Amino acid sequence: MIHALLLVCLFMQMQSAEPPVPPEALALLQSGLDAENRRDLDQAVASFRKAADLAPSAGIVFLRLGDAYIKKRDYAAAIPPLNRAVELSPDSPVVHQLLGYALLAEGYAAKAIPHLEIVHEHGALGVAQIEAGLPAEAVANLQAALAKSPDDPDLLYYLSRAGTLLSSQALDKLLSAFPDTARGHQAAGQNLFVMKMFPEAAKEYQRALELRPDLPGLRLELGQVFAASSNWEKAAEQFREEAKLQPGNAEAAYRFGDALLQLGKMKEATEELRRSDSLRPDMPETLYSLARAAAASDPGMAEHALARVIELEKESPLAGQAYLALAGIHRKQGKTQQAASEIQEYRRIQSLNSRHAPTKQ
Amino acid sequence: MSGLRNTKAALLSLLFSVSLIAQEAKLKSEPMFQLSPLKGVNFVLRNSPTSRKYLIETMPGGVALLDYNNDGLLDIFLVNAGHVRDPMNTPISFDRHEPAYWNRLYRQNKDGTFTDVTEQAGLASAGDTNYGMGVAVGDYDNDGFPDIYVTNFGKNILYHNNGDGTFTDVTAKAGVAGGGWSVSAGFLDYDNDGKLDLFVTRYLDWSIEKSKTCGSEKPTYCPPGEFPATTNILYHNRGNGTFEDVSVASGIAAKKGHGLGVAFADYDGDGYTDIFVANDAMEQFLFHNNRDGTFTETALDSGAALTSNGKMLSGMGAAFQDYDNDGLPDLLVTELPHQPYIVFHNDGRGSFSAQELETGFGALSGRSSGWGVGLEDFDNDGWKDAFVVQGHVFDNVEMYDSSLRYKEPPLLALNHQGHFEKADAGSDVAVAGRGAAFGDLNNDGWMDVVATSLGERPQLYLNRGGKLHWLTIALRGKRSNRDGYGARVLVNGQVRFATATGSYLSSNDKRLHFGLGSAETANIEIRWPSGAHQALRNIKADQFLMIEESDQP
Repeated sequence: MIHALLLVCLFMQMQSAEPPVPPEALALLQSGLDAENRRDLDQAVASFRKAADLAPSAGIVFLRLGDAYIKKRDYAAAIPPLNRAVELSPDSPVVHQLLGYALLAEGYAAKAIPHLEIVHEHGALGVAQIEAGLPAEAVANLQAALAKSPDDPDLLYYLSRAGTLLSSQALDKLLSAFPDTARGHQAAGQNLFVMKMFPEAAKEYQRALELRPDLPGLRLELGQVFAASSNWEKAAEQFREEAKLQPGNAEAAYRFGDALLQLGKMKEATEELRRSDSLRPDMPETLYSLARAAAASDPGMAEHALARVIELEKESPLAGQAYLALAGIHRKQGKTQQAASEIQEYRRIQSLNSRHAPTKQ
Repeated sequence: MSGLRNTKAALLSLLFSVSLIAQEAKLKSEPMFQLSPLKGVNFVLRNSPTSRKYLIETMPGGVALLDYNNDGLLDIFLVNAGHVRDPMNTPISFDRHEPAYWNRLYRQNKDGTFTDVTEQAGLASAGDTNYGMGVAVGDYDNDGFPDIYVTNFGKNILYHNNGDGTFTDVTAKAGVAGGGWSVSAGFLDYDNDGKLDLFVTRYLDWSIEKSKTCGSEKPTYCPPGEFPATTNILYHNRGNGTFEDVSVASGIAAKKGHGLGVAFADYDGDGYTDIFVANDAMEQFLFHNNRDGTFTETALDSGAALTSNGKMLSGMGAAFQDYDNDGLPDLLVTELPHQPYIVFHNDGRGSFSAQELETGFGALSGRSSGWGVGLEDFDNDGWKDAFVVQGHVFDNVEMYDSSLRYKEPPLLALNHQGHFEKADAGSDVAVAGRGAAFGDLNNDGWMDVVATSLGERPQLYLNRGGKLHWLTIALRGKRSNRDGYGARVLVNGQVRFATATGSYLSSNDKRLHFGLGSAETANIEIRWPSGAHQALRNIKADQFLMIEESDQP
């Protein structure tokens, strides 16, 4: 519909600029438009082709022919008449727009870009730029398109893809051009970590640390590598160093506290997790670990932390775990009825979450 | 004045005890165990791994330490697996008639060597359609000779000990063949009628035909959730050589699971044996004995179902003994990596709390896969230590996670007043460990371990011993079952629940071993399953003691 309106406007403009169209060609053009209205696209194409033979310098005829092919989704066939239309009417935005779409649809992203740039078609331009390996430019154009249509799922999808490509491009450059820098080793470590190659990832991080021992975040990531392979002694060592380096970093304090918890050092874990909680209050994971660490020494504190987890998490699996932990505390205190009702809550949340969980393939 | 003298004497004695234990620890610079050859044992656990990754291949096999001929020396029974073809076609045969796939009984000779007596004992035939798994030992007919029950993927077999060095397959008469995929089993007297009953765990509703691989690029064994769960079996001993399947009537079959390990203890002190089942990748089961022939599964309500962070665990092996000397049996459950082995501490009043982190297992076991497990006092200091045989389920696990290993050495964790710390087990040899049985193989007062591993000969971890004192008690029930299974034995403040069951697929030395530290005498209290109570005072340490159930209640 938009196309049709645009084409009508253009038709009017072009008529005034171009040499007059012979009456036979005009009749065929009209016949083609009628066929299009009847949705008889084959007949429309046949009429426009005949009109083009009779009026080879009339841009409007080639535009109509290209547009009819696009409506038929025959993008390959649309490209030659639209190219001719561009030759005849190089200043016509709609011709560039249609040619840009047709070229993009056929995979000629790089060729589509200049046409889409002329008409500032940000969304399609962004897509073409992704395909042409220009993710940085794509991000800018897709963000511009999203500013106009913030809830367009296609645009959101392509923006996320462009972001990934941009990150991957930067990473490729980092790894190939600067492999023996701290950041190069850090990036390599991240890649290996994702592939669950923990010992190899640890080596990369250790090399990065040799090069820049004070780089914030390195020890946090190395600690997570050790934690993922359940090497809690080494994980705690790294988290401790990171917490020293960044005493205001709540995540470092949480990770350190959790590693101490895994090592059974409940008192030290409680202290560190309390520190993390004070740096960034109301982090459910921190509160849950704090409750586990304090359960034996300070059940009151543990109960309070678990109640807060439940308040924050509502019916998530972590809320279920919090109910279970509360049941453990109350069972130990001999409050069997309370424990039983908490077990019931745990079961309810478990069943709720298992219903929502994706089924195994 | 004399009071003061006594206090001083007690203090000196305490100081002396402490320094002796410290000295012992100092002297213990060499490993606790020595990996020793089992002379005369040429058994190889042939699990026959294939490219089809049939799940049964990675699960065997059991080992039992028993004195089948009552000569005072522990003998060894080893369960073999079978020949799995690649692929396996019908009719299914695991070629168990071939000697390479036989189960084996090795009689211990006086010089510590072993003689293969399988054929003469009548144990050679294991059934071609049976792929071997585990073993349980108990004197189900109270004739004084231990009988052997072998679990299989297929049909299980009960061998009656004829008392003359031979066994007879009495499965059909006894009615205990089971079926499906049986794993661990154990004899217990759940109704305290003096006759041993039988509990069998079953893993999955699985068959060769239903088998599949998981992992598209790197095919491997599928997790248990890919197959339907199944029920465990409880057989009641009628006392006439036959058993009745009471799985449904007792409530045991009301719960379907992925049963692997099983362990027994009376966790709530009501005088009746309860049952713990280690389930793979789901909640664990704790069957509370209702004392009327029925059980109620209470693991979640009791706090023995999940890890301390509320996660499912891949329970494999289990030991049910009191590790912190508070008189209440606790649970140690082995499992897959990235979760430590779980300790369910018995808090009393029938409740447990998961304390794997508090006890030190978070630092000890997060990267390992544990199977056979025992809580035994290996250094005789009065605290039960942990020994775990290890090895991942996947024979290609390194391709999935390069920080893990298919073959691992065992874990020895010494118990320091309730906190476990890793110690040198005496072997760095990595194996795909599975079964483990615990007992004093050379009767020196120090507990040894015999373990099985896939594709290899069994390992003997022989305890080097030391200077601390010990006491080993053999029970002979009269009104209670003859093995005394189910008795609660208290020695110098330490409690053991009498059972040969625990670990994974395996059966332990039924004698009860106590480390006494520096104590040269022991006070003993026994509560028999019959209800009889017996107390013995000032018993000399460092001896094997046979205690017969008194006629008095």
